[in-house]
Order: sequence, then structure tokens, then C-alpha cells
Amino acid sequence: MTDDALAAELRRRALALFGRSLHIRTVDTGSCAVCESEIRLLSAPPYDLHRLGFFFTPAPRHADLLLITGPAVRAMDTALLKTFEATPDPKAVVAVGACALGGVYEEDGFVHGAVDRVLPVDVYVPGCPPSPLALLHGLLVAVGRLEERVAALTFDLAAEVER
Amino acid sequence: MNQAITDLVLAAGAAWVLAAAVGLGAVRALWLRAAALLSGLGGACAVVGGVLLAVHGHATNVNLGSSLVGGASLRFTPLAAAFIVLLGIVAVAIALYAPRYHVPGRGTAVYLAVYNLALVASAIVLAAGSVVTFLVAWESMALFSYLVILRHQEREEVARGAFLFLALSEIGFALIVAAFAILATQTHTLDLATIAARAGHIGSGWRTAAFLLALTGFGFKAGVVPFHIWLPAAHPVAPADGSAFLSGLVIKLGVYGIALFSVTLLRGGPAWWGLVMMGLGALSAVLGILYALMERDLKRFLAYSSIENIGIVLVALGASLTFAAYHQRAIATFLLITALYHVVNHGVYKTLLFLEAGVIEHATGTRDLDRLGGLIRLLPRTSVISLIGTLGIAALPPLNGFVTEWMLFQGLFQGFRIPNHTVGILIVVAGAVIALTAGLALSAFARAYGIPFLGRPRSEGAARARERGQPIAGPALLAVTCVFLGVGAPLVLTVLARAARAVTGVNIHAELLVPKLTVIPAHTNFSGFSPTYLAVFIVVVAAVPILIYLAGRPRAASRKVPVWDGGILAFEARMQYTATTFANPVRVTFDPLYRPAIELQRASDEPAGRSGPVHYDARVTPIFERFLYRPVVRFVELLARAARPIQSGDVNLYLLYVLVVVIVAFAIYAK
Amino acid sequence: MAFWFFRGLGKGIVTTRYPKAIDPWTSALPTPPAFHSDRLTIALVDRLIEVCPSRALAREHNELIFDVGACSACERCVQEGAGAVEHSGVFELASTRREHLLKRVHIGRGSA
Repeated sequence: MTDDALAAELRRRALALFGRSLHIRTVDTGSCAVCESEIRLLSAPPYDLHRLGFFFTPAPRHADLLLITGPAVRAMDTALLKTFEATPDPKAVVAVGACALGGVYEEDGFVHGAVDRVLPVDVYVPGCPPSPLALLHGLLVAVGRLEERVAALTFDLAAEVER
Repeated sequence: MNQAITDLVLAAGAAWVLAAAVGLGAVRALWLRAAALLSGLGGACAVVGGVLLAVHGHATNVNLGSSLVGGASLRFTPLAAAFIVLLGIVAVAIALYAPRYHVPGRGTAVYLAVYNLALVASAIVLAAGSVVTFLVAWESMALFSYLVILRHQEREEVARGAFLFLALSEIGFALIVAAFAILATQTHTLDLATIAARAGHIGSGWRTAAFLLALTGFGFKAGVVPFHIWLPAAHPVAPADGSAFLSGLVIKLGVYGIALFSVTLLRGGPAWWGLVMMGLGALSAVLGILYALMERDLKRFLAYSSIENIGIVLVALGASLTFAAYHQRAIATFLLITALYHVVNHGVYKTLLFLEAGVIEHATGTRDLDRLGGLIRLLPRTSVISLIGTLGIAALPPLNGFVTEWMLFQGLFQGFRIPNHTVGILIVVAGAVIALTAGLALSAFARAYGIPFLGRPRSEGAARARERGQPIAGPALLAVTCVFLGVGAPLVLTVLARAARAVTGVNIHAELLVPKLTVIPAHTNFSGFSPTYLAVFIVVVAAVPILIYLAGRPRAASRKVPVWDGGILAFEARMQYTATTFANPVRVTFDPLYRPAIELQRASDEPAGRSGPVHYDARVTPIFERFLYRPVVRFVELLARAARPIQSGDVNLYLLYVLVVVIVAFAIYAK
Repeated sequence: MAFWFFRGLGKGIVTTRYPKAIDPWTSALPTPPAFHSDRLTIALVDRLIEVCPSRALAREHNELIFDVGACSACERCVQEGAGAVEHSGVFELASTRREHLLKRVHIGRGSA
């Protein structure tokens, strides 16, 4: 394997280790808080992320995964970078919601527009807001327990009918 | 032995007189240091003499001459021994402190002279053998202390503070004279030893009157609530060593006076005397600490804390009297020992704290707790010494404050041994109030140490503090003394037990200390603890995790990263707790007591966050000044105005007065 | 001991996978649109691009570039599209690469 591939494989295995016990730290970089509501719902009985071994933690030093919402306003730069640096390696960064992925807000003097303009993102979870099921799917993709599905979709109904 | 004690104490007095004389030359630094050296030597003599006096256990008389009215005589009693030792310790500590604190000059020269004379006067008060000696020495001590406070007389608040001190001192003096007058006329003698021997034959009405007058009169000096208002006014404005002298020694002389009357001269009384003392003591303790918590000025805070501790001593003394009235003499002696021990302890750590407050004021330029911070990094040795003093006064084991508070509680909890249930319950209620006080004191001193020393500086002055040139030796000696008085409690108690035996006639040494250095409260099977072993235990227990860490330290290189701070931009000193906010829960809880007068001003009517500067001013209502002193002062002024026509300034009227008096005198004596 | 405990230990199963079956109510979730490429015209596509508030649509020659990540599922394009754009019902959209979320749809009848 090349060095890059080796590094990627190492990361994949490290993240797979988290599959049974993952501590999640949420960071809100200026969202409307609806994504936060959906994240909060993850602890509710229908979704129950605790049965999967996932837990929320307020301390980034205890965290394995950062769950970032919001369009990365510039005022949150220091806090976001400090949180990222305080989280020990290996860690995963998951960007949640249309805002964090570059939609809704354009880059300007107040906002970066997308989280991956500030931090390296491992998993993107689209939605506005993404339902708790979509969030669970995203978290399980991050730790390698599920495969991503969107890559195979075309969003072209005519093409799919033909197929 | 008698001769040695006499020689030592007289030598101390002589050294102080000499120090006063030398001090007058303290325009030069050399004379300043020489005066301090003499003062310190005098203190050392006093310490040794006091300890010998306590151990020797007998009173000694020295007659200085009978040409004066009633004769001037000295009498060294074991009761005064603890106070003499304290006087010596305070003198030595201040002697080490003064050369680095004071700047040579005329003001300093006069100050040193009057200060050393105050020391002499205090020594004579403690060693007075006759009523006249006592009263003359007492007034001298008050006047010299007044001059000590007036060091910076050009400032207005200094004049006010000193005036309050003198005014209340004079009121107290009048009552003290009345108390002594009753005793002297009823026993037909001015010699204190003779009064003590004959006082048993005085009618109980006179005895009660003398006791109450003495309690009130000496209470003015001791700072018992409601006679305390001079303390928070005078302490902040005196120089640091002057405040230390006031709080460390002068108020203890008030306690000595109360003890002299109740224990030595009147030899105890009905139980209600002790209950009255305990009530005043409990009130002083709890009000003292409650007002202390509201103070931003470090020295005013320490002044109120002194009021609290005097309250504790008074509770111990009062409980001692009450138990004695019910013939529980062992416990009574135990509580007397507790009172004396607490006097020494408080003298040591309060002096330490006031001296360190002076260092802080010199280093940072402010006494305001809300403007200090971060001094533990800038003044490291001062912080350690202050920490020992704070742990002592907050009564944390294994230091001295904890030993005396433990002894006090153990004594009070034995109230059940008194057959009268009401009295027993009242004693335990006093214990509960003291427990509340102890809890509040812990909070108050966490605030008084944590806000100035920990965290970040809250002002420019605090950030500029430097330890170079600040006095260290004096406070350090006091810190060592604190530790010794705590860990070496068995030794101290042995000495105090011998002194107490001479005073009350009860030897409780066997019921105070058992083998293995354990202290028990006058009865076995009640409780016991060993301060010495506790200290050793604490050290050992603290050492274990340290040793484990040192042994198991990771060998690999470690990486240093910034502490997680919540992701804020930068830590600002303004984000910290202030002293005012730290005490806010207490302020809210005891709002009916404080009745704060609150003033709130906004720069505009915009909602919070956009309104511009907000000014918030909360002042505690001084209820004693407003509801007790001001009406009395107004009444006295009313009387004075009514009597003014007598002094019209007209010489003819005055000649008429002389004529009338001569005629009346002839009429009376012509018979 | 319960039978399922030993079965779980034997199979190494800790808990049920997420989720065992899709609940029917998930069809009502807001989801990105799907396009009928044969019903799209350039004019319609330009109109859709104007209407999208989240900059999820763009056109390159005769290809519609749809950014699934930027879509806020407001369904304005579904209303404007009049039959060419539909609610897709897909909500499991997590992706490890940003490029996987950029979908290209041919405008008009053409090869898939």
C-alpha cells in the first residue's frame, strides 16, 4: 500500500474500534438549532443511540467524534479550532445539515459557509434538518458499521426507470 | 523562680521604655532598627517570663512604692500569664516587621515611641496589683493606642476612626472605674489580692452590679457586640502593625479585664452571669462573621473577624462560669483553659493576618478584595504564610484554631451534666450558634484568601505586586507559632493546665491529657483526639499519592497542551468571581439582618446588554450606629444644649457661682 | 440465563442493527428532490435554479448539477417543476466524500 492508503486504512481501523463505544461532542457553529433538536432526539427511545454504544460528552478531551452543525460563522473560529485541537486523535469529524455542507449561507465576511472550509470533515450528513435516522446512519457510516448509500444514487428517476 | 519571673517581666518593660526612647530618634534607619531590636528583646523576655509564670503557678507581688494613692504595686498572676506570653509574641513579630514596613522619619519616630509605651502600659495592666495601678495603666494604654491609630492623622477617616476608638474607650473606662469603685469601697481596700480575698463577703446586689459594669466596660474594649463599632472604624486606618497590635493584644486586654473580675476578683457567681456572657459572646460571634462576609476592605473584614473570635472566647468564659456555678469544676476549668488558649491562638493568627494585609497593601496599593487577585504567583512566600494563618483562623485541622474550637464544642456539648435542663439547653444552643459561626467563618476565609491570592489580578495594582523588600520574618515566625500551637497542643495544654490550677484550684491535667498525646475534655469516655498524631497522619496520607506519582511517572516524553477552557477567546480577569459575588448567597439569605440600601443606575433605558454602564451600589445598614448610638448621642447633645446657658462666658456669672458654692460649703461644714 | 443472551454471545451480536425495517412514517420526512431528466428543459432548469434558496442547483451546458448536501428540502423546485421534479423519499444520505453528493442529471431525453 502507498503511504496515503496506509494512513487511510489505519484511520479506518481506528474508527472501527469506536464502533462499540463512541463518545460524541456536538459543536454548534451558528446553526438555527433545529439540527440540535434532531441530535437531542437521538437519546429518545425510538432511536436510542445508547444501545449502539454511543454517548454524548461535553468534554472534547473525552470525545472521539465531533458532530458539527451550522455554517461555521467566523466568530466561532477560535472555539471550533480549540475544540478540534482538544479532541485527542484518532477522531472523526461529522458535518451535519445543509448549512454545514455549504448550502443556505454563502461565504462572506461573517461566515465561512461550510465546515470543511475550516476543518477536515470525515462524513457529511445532508438534511435540513437530518432526521435522527439519518444522523444514526451517518454516525454508523463514520465508524464503519454501515456502508454509505448515496454514492450509488443518481436522483434521476428517468434513468432509474430505464435500468 | 519568683525572682526570675519578676526580673524577666520588668526587663521586658524596661526594654520597651528604652525602645520608646530610641524610637524617638527613628528619623534615621539605624535608630529605627535599634528600636525594633529592643522592642523584640522585650517581647522575648515577656514570652519567657509568661511561660515561667504559667508553669510556676503562683502569684508574685512587687511593691513599687506607697507614696502614690493606694500604692503602686505589681502582681504577676497565672491568669495573666497567657496574656503576657501573647504580648511578647506580638511584640517580637511586630519588631521583626516594623523595620521593613515603616519609612524612617518624624512620623515614624513618634509612632515607635508611643507604640512601645503602649506595650509597657499593656504589660502593667496585665501585672497590676492595685486598683490605681490598673486604672492608670489602662488609661495610658488607651491613650497610647489612640496615638498609634493616629499615625496618619492628616487623613479624615483616620481621625474619625481614632476618635471612635477613644470615645468608646472612655465610656468603657467610666464603667470600669465604677466597677472597681464598688469593689474597693465594699472591701475597703485598693489592693487586688485583698479584694479577691474579701469579695466573697460583699452583698450579691453589689457583686452583680460590679460584674455587669465590668462586663460592659471591658466589653467596650474587647469589641463585644453592641459595643464594637470602633473596631471596623479604627483597624483599617491604623498602620498594619498598629492594627495587628490592636487586634492581637488590645482587645484581649478587655477579655483579661472580664476574666479578672469574674474569675479572680469575684470568684464566680450565679449561673445567669455565665449565661449573659454566653449570650453576648454568641451574638458577637455570629454578627461579627456575618458582617465580615459583606466587607470588601480586607482590614475591615479582619476587624469583624476579631469581633467574632472575641465572641467565641466570651462563650468559653461564660460557659466556664456557668459550669462552675453548678459545681462542675473540672469542665469549668477545661473551658477556662479553652478561653485562654483561644486568646493566644487568635492573637497569633490575627496578628499574622493583619501584618500580611499590610504587606498586600504596600505591594498592590489597595485593600479592596475586588481589586486584588493572582498574588500567589507574585508574592509566593507571603501567600504560604497567609495560608497558614487562614487555615488557623478557619479552624482547620491540625492547626491551632481547630484545637480550641474542638475543645470549646466538647465543653459545650457536656451541658447535659448540668441538672437544670433550661441552662443545659441554653448552653447547647450557644454551641449551635458557634457551629453556625464556624461554618460562616470557613466561607469567609475561603473568600478572604481565595480572592486576593488565587486567580488573576483584577487591577493594575495587583498585577504590579512584588515581594522584594516586603517583611517576611515577622509573619513567618507567627506562622511557625501557629503550627506549633496546633501540633504541640499537648505541651501548651500542660502549661495552661498549671496556670488554670492556680486560678481555679482544680488540677485537670489527668483529665486533659492522657498518654499518647491525646486531649480529652475533662471527662474520659466522652471524646478525645490527638492534634499531634493528626498532624502526622495528615502528612503521611498526603505523602502517599505523591510517592505513588513519583514512582509511577511515565518514562516517555510528555506533551504540554493548553488546558481546555471551553473554547473562549481569552481568559479575562473580569470573568472571575469577585468577593462581593462570592458572599452573595449569604447576603441574600440574611437580607433581613443586613437590610442593604441598594442604588441602581443605568446609563439608559435600553434592555440589558445595550443599556451602557450600569452602576450598582449596595450598602449594609449599620443598625447599631443608627438605632443605638445615634439616639444616645442625640440625647447627650440635647442635654449639653440644655446645660449650655451655665457656660455663658460672662465672668461675673462665674464669680457668682464661686460665691454660691463658698456659702453652701460654709453652711454644710460649719455644723 | 435467557436464551437470547447465549445466542448473542455466540453470534457476537450486541444489539439489533439500525433499523431492522423502514417505518412507514419516514415517507413523510422532508427529503431532497429527484428529477425526471426526460421532462427537464433548459428553461425549466434555469427557473428552478432561480427558485432554489440554497444554491443546490446549477447548470453546466445541458447538465443539471444537483448538490444533495446543500439541499434544504424546501420543495420549491418540486412545486415549480410541475411533474419534472418529485419528492425522492431518500433520507439516508451520509457520505464520506463531498463529491459523492454532487449529482449530474442530463437535461432532456438522453443517455443515462
